[in-house]
Amino acid sequence: MLTTLHRMQDQLNRSEHLNRLGRLFSETVLLEVDGDEFYLHFEKGRLERVEPGPSRKTPWRFALRTDRAALEEFWKPIPKPGFHDIFGFVKIGRGRVDGDILSLVKNLRFFKEFMALARTDLARTDPAREGVSA
Amino acid sequence: MSTLIEPITGRYVTVQIADAPRRIYFEEAGQGRPVLCLHTAGADTRQWRHLMNDARITANNRMIAFDMPWHGKSLPPEGFQTEEYLLTTEAYIETVLAMVDALGLEKPVLAGCSMGGRIALQIAALHPEKFSGFIAIEASDFQPAWYDIDWFHRPDAHGGEMGAALVSANISPHAPEAERWNTLWMFMQSGPGVFRGDLSFYTRDDSLIARLGQIDTAQTPVHVLVGAYDLTCTPEDAQRTADAIPGATIAVMDELGHFPMSEHPEGFRPFFAAALDAMPRGGMS
Repeated sequence: MLTTLHRMQDQLNRSEHLNRLGRLFSETVLLEVDGDEFYLHFEKGRLERVEPGPSRKTPWRFALRTDRAALEEFWKPIPKPGFHDIFGFVKIGRGRVDGDILSLVKNLRFFKEFMALARTDLARTDPAREGVSA
Repeated sequence: MSTLIEPITGRYVTVQIADAPRRIYFEEAGQGRPVLCLHTAGADTRQWRHLMNDARITANNRMIAFDMPWHGKSLPPEGFQTEEYLLTTEAYIETVLAMVDALGLEKPVLAGCSMGGRIALQIAALHPEKFSGFIAIEASDFQPAWYDIDWFHRPDAHGGEMGAALVSANISPHAPEAERWNTLWMFMQSGPGVFRGDLSFYTRDDSLIARLGQIDTAQTPVHVLVGAYDLTCTPEDAQRTADAIPGATIAVMDELGHFPMSEHPEGFRPFFAAALDAMPRGGMS
């Protein structure tokens, strides 16, 4: 998971479009996958650092908690219904969103597009995604 | 590249709603049996443009769609600047019936998506005599909100952009990229507070549940269409709704989401054509 997150970090930081979309987003997000914590430190639309947990002293603005199988389905070119969106995880009982949800909603397009960076068929629509492999 | 002028024409009509005038924008294309089309919350008539440009549909169907007041090119009522927009079942029904009368539509089919599908079922229960049948797309008896509708109208954030980001969850990954974004653009353009006001109706009024059983599908057929990728009105929600209407039929569209006519017109066309075929030819029967 850490390798994938670092690859997404590279993609994000090379994406002018996403950096512009997230230019007001400087927050730490907790991504929890099968209980493993990853603290994503965003700064003005860039992902400055991916900090693996566990940590009890790292503050975060909002958290997305899910499992690896759900994320792997999400990252397929055509995910199954419910796995096609991070809110779908919540709807089908495969994820939770905690914390300052309004902060997430205000930056929802940015965060969703960041999370989708590991999807494997999207290179054609965003040059920043070129080179992403499964 | 050759010039293409589409067959869709747009005009305005002023109708009385709640004893006050509303200037409503409507579009139409085709000839034959009238089909009145209702857009979803937070959007407008453009959602229907593909079907209205589809000669296979318009050869014998007169497709008509209008922008609800506050939406698209239909202005809000005079004095809107101090009004909190909150759509109600009563005002929505009154608007649809006023359009049927104003345009002189003889027993049209009523086709609505999402909140438009909800109101189509309300009208199927309460005013079926004016219609020949009902196509309820992504329509359910009731959906409580899993989000806070107040998120979408606040001074410190763009409600349209947030609304678009939220509803993108309901678009199928099979949808062509261009149409996905054209669909979202309408939400981005929605006036301040309009999506919230639509959602207030959609997520708080559960009066349809008790009325579904009184729909007489022998007189006016009801066909429900639902996309498998719709997180708001899931196939389970649509099935529960169809089950409560004696004689209603339902089709699940495996590769579509909550805005099928807009997000994936080619995928939706056969389902819509089949739904039209299931409707009697109103005034001619």
